[in-house]
Amino acid sequence: MSDSHHEHDSHVELEYHPALPMSLGKLCLWLFLSTEIMFFAALIGTYVVFRFGAPAGTWPAPHDVYLSEPLGAINTFVLICSSLTVVLSLEASRKNNTGHAKKWLMATFGLGCLFLGIKAFEYKEKFAHGIFPTKENRRLYDQPDVYYVSAVKQKLEKLRSEMTDEQKQQEVAHGLTRESLINTLMTGGVAHAARAATQSDNPIEAQAILDSLAYAIWHHEPSEYEATRLRNEQKAIKPKLAELESKLSDLEKQKTEVLAKLKEGSEGDNKLSDDEKRQLQVKQIGIMQDIAATDQDAKPMRERLAFIGVMLADDAHLLNHGVSHDQSWMELPFVIPSGNLWASTYFMLTGFHALHVVIGLIIFGLVMFATLDVSKSHYLENAGLYWHFVDLVWIFIFPMLYLF
Amino acid sequence: MSEPDTHPPTHDEQHLHNDEELHATYGNTKYYVVFVALCLLTLCSFLTYFQWWDTHIPSNVSMAFMMAVSCAKALLVMLFFMHLLWEANWKWILTVPASMMSVFLLCMLIPDIGYRAEHYSNARWLHAPVPNEEAVEAATVEAATAPASH
Repeated sequence: MSDSHHEHDSHVELEYHPALPMSLGKLCLWLFLSTEIMFFAALIGTYVVFRFGAPAGTWPAPHDVYLSEPLGAINTFVLICSSLTVVLSLEASRKNNTGHAKKWLMATFGLGCLFLGIKAFEYKEKFAHGIFPTKENRRLYDQPDVYYVSAVKQKLEKLRSEMTDEQKQQEVAHGLTRESLINTLMTGGVAHAARAATQSDNPIEAQAILDSLAYAIWHHEPSEYEATRLRNEQKAIKPKLAELESKLSDLEKQKTEVLAKLKEGSEGDNKLSDDEKRQLQVKQIGIMQDIAATDQDAKPMRERLAFIGVMLADDAHLLNHGVSHDQSWMELPFVIPSGNLWASTYFMLTGFHALHVVIGLIIFGLVMFATLDVSKSHYLENAGLYWHFVDLVWIFIFPMLYLF
Repeated sequence: MSEPDTHPPTHDEQHLHNDEELHATYGNTKYYVVFVALCLLTLCSFLTYFQWWDTHIPSNVSMAFMMAVSCAKALLVMLFFMHLLWEANWKWILTVPASMMSVFLLCMLIPDIGYRAEHYSNARWLHAPVPNEEAVEAATVEAATAPASH
């Protein structure tokens, strides 16, 4: 009996039965995709939480950060097309139709490259406007504060020191050279804002002064409020400056008279005594001190008026367009509320997505020149699953980044 | 008479068998139909780009609509292009836990990050990119009373 059992057992053929009804390759890919779901959910989730947790009205609109909705929609269409072509390639491969399989796979590869090309163009737009993936390189500031004013000052100083004599004399507007524009911005804009904001006891007023500087440099929507504010400021400064100028003129006259008396007294018959000379000299020193003090008071007003004059010239052309936009060669720092948070999440999301697209293209590239018969269908199926997942991620990224 | 084939099909064979049945019924037409549906859905979400949509539809409704459209597109891609419609129930074992983890990840960020502005003090609001009205009023009152107290 035991012999018969032994004989029976020797005929049992053991077979490997996997737990799930699919190949190991596909199982591994699905496990990988499940980790990818969590990876992108974390990235997209972070964006969503930052976006909706931001104080009301501070998250940049797509146009503020140079995002083009039509380009995003075209990229969505491109990825949908590529999803179709890869599945058609798989079906052709399963039917042993190698020619069609290769044709569809090449189309997928081309569409993937097109997607990356459009993405590269979008990135170029951001870089051209000083929005970079790393904060150190960005010209972007979240709010107009002392750090922002300091950054503008540093940039203007750098521009002034690096310009050649020829560049300095280059005309940027009617009667305004590059050098004079930089000097006007430096004195009547930046220096005024820093001085006025630090001297002001009212934090609202201080913030309004810094806001005004940030607006003059860059803004998305022109506002009549800032132009009116500058016109009112101009009206308020003019009489004060006129008063100081008049005082200066009087002091200059007095100084000339004293000098003339001193000159007359030192020659000819009406020679002044030493005491009289000393008195006149003391008077002259007093007048010169008054002139210096008055001039010191008038100087910031003159600078501020020059700045306002430049901003309001040609129907407030420079103010309405923003210095950064109108004089793009200056590459000045600019303010977009919550802009840095937006830039970090945008580059993180789209960068990792683009990296997945690149990996997908490499996977397609590896088999593109092979014979895509039925034996390659499993490879194509797995590659296709990965590609569809990349498409899925973009399906959620597109509305959140471009349309919300 | 040949013996009946009692050898169970391998899993790859089963899989291919399912797909063959599928293609015998529908072929590639279903993919083209899904593609057209995806394009139409993309067009629907792109409608929100236009000015008249902004003026007529509240932003919350618009966002919910866009997410609904995205979910519909994702479902179509998963069911048809990723063949999940014809796969066995193993798909839930792999995808549901991962999706639940994703939701947890999102939820964990909400208290500290999502509601960060809820706990701003007046001073913090005043120095926020766009100060809120209450903080501005409080600072104005403080600025007005400060010289009197000196």
